[in-house]
Amino acid sequence: MATHHVNAVLPDEPEKATLEGKNKILGFWLFLGGETVLFGSLFATFIALRDQTNGGPTSQQLFEMPLVALATLLLLTSSLTSVFAVLALHKKDLKKMQAWMTVTVILGLGFLALEIYEFMHYIHMGHKMTSGAFGSAFYTLVGFHGAHVAFGILWILTVQLQTVKKGLTVVTAPKFYVASLYWHFIDVVWVFIFTVVYLMGMIGGKVG
Amino acid sequence: MGAHVHDEPRKPKVKHDGAKKHVIAFIASLVLTALAFAAVAFEVIPAGFTVPFIVGLAFVQALFQLFFWMHMDQKGHEFARISIFAGLTFILIAIIVFVFWVWW
Repeated sequence: MATHHVNAVLPDEPEKATLEGKNKILGFWLFLGGETVLFGSLFATFIALRDQTNGGPTSQQLFEMPLVALATLLLLTSSLTSVFAVLALHKKDLKKMQAWMTVTVILGLGFLALEIYEFMHYIHMGHKMTSGAFGSAFYTLVGFHGAHVAFGILWILTVQLQTVKKGLTVVTAPKFYVASLYWHFIDVVWVFIFTVVYLMGMIGGKVG
Repeated sequence: MGAHVHDEPRKPKVKHDGAKKHVIAFIASLVLTALAFAAVAFEVIPAGFTVPFIVGLAFVQALFQLFFWMHMDQKGHEFARISIFAGLTFILIAIIVFVFWVWW
């Protein structure tokens, strides 16, 4: 049942060994193209509305660099550990892959905890979803990214649990590969969030 | 249980890059991130140039991660490139429209 040793029967690149696996990855890239447009429209809204604070605190008053730097470090490192998980997958080393995926999930949870603390801190300072266009655009964009992190954690955990039961097969391998693509994508989106929302907010300059 | 593939003659092993490439991408991402943070924290660059500079750094880092970590540099990723760059084109148009049409 549970194969916690290096699986010698699996083909090379087990995530692409079946047509189903290949189609899953192809379809997932189409989904990521759609996600790009979705996040892009939230970014466009945020950039257009970020100075409309309606008398509430401005981004220069709110944002603090150490918190953003720590969140960035957590998510960036978690992206690397999920790469290591895929490398272990290619070596068909289930135990190692599960270990790296677990590290990824723990780092993701750390990021999420930091974001919840941050949002609570802002709400105490009077920066709310309802406080103005800046508040609405900020929580929609950053909150939507946070929701993606939360969903990614649940997704990876579910696939991990299933694989404890089913072992590493041509059915479970594509699921890990696709989940790690999703995780990297979340990190890529965060690169633009810390640049556009936080760093540009701390400068407070207009775009252009 | 699982759908293992049996009785197939072993093809030559697919060559996989080791961890090295990915660690380099990680270090590059860290350096690019640190540069962007430093540019804002210490105001070493002329103020008007800071925004294009850090946005440029973000794009470089995003491409690093897409191509190395998400394997877009590998064969058979033409569709992935079309998806991501089509998405990017749409959002760049949207951002330009929102920023320059709404407020100017």
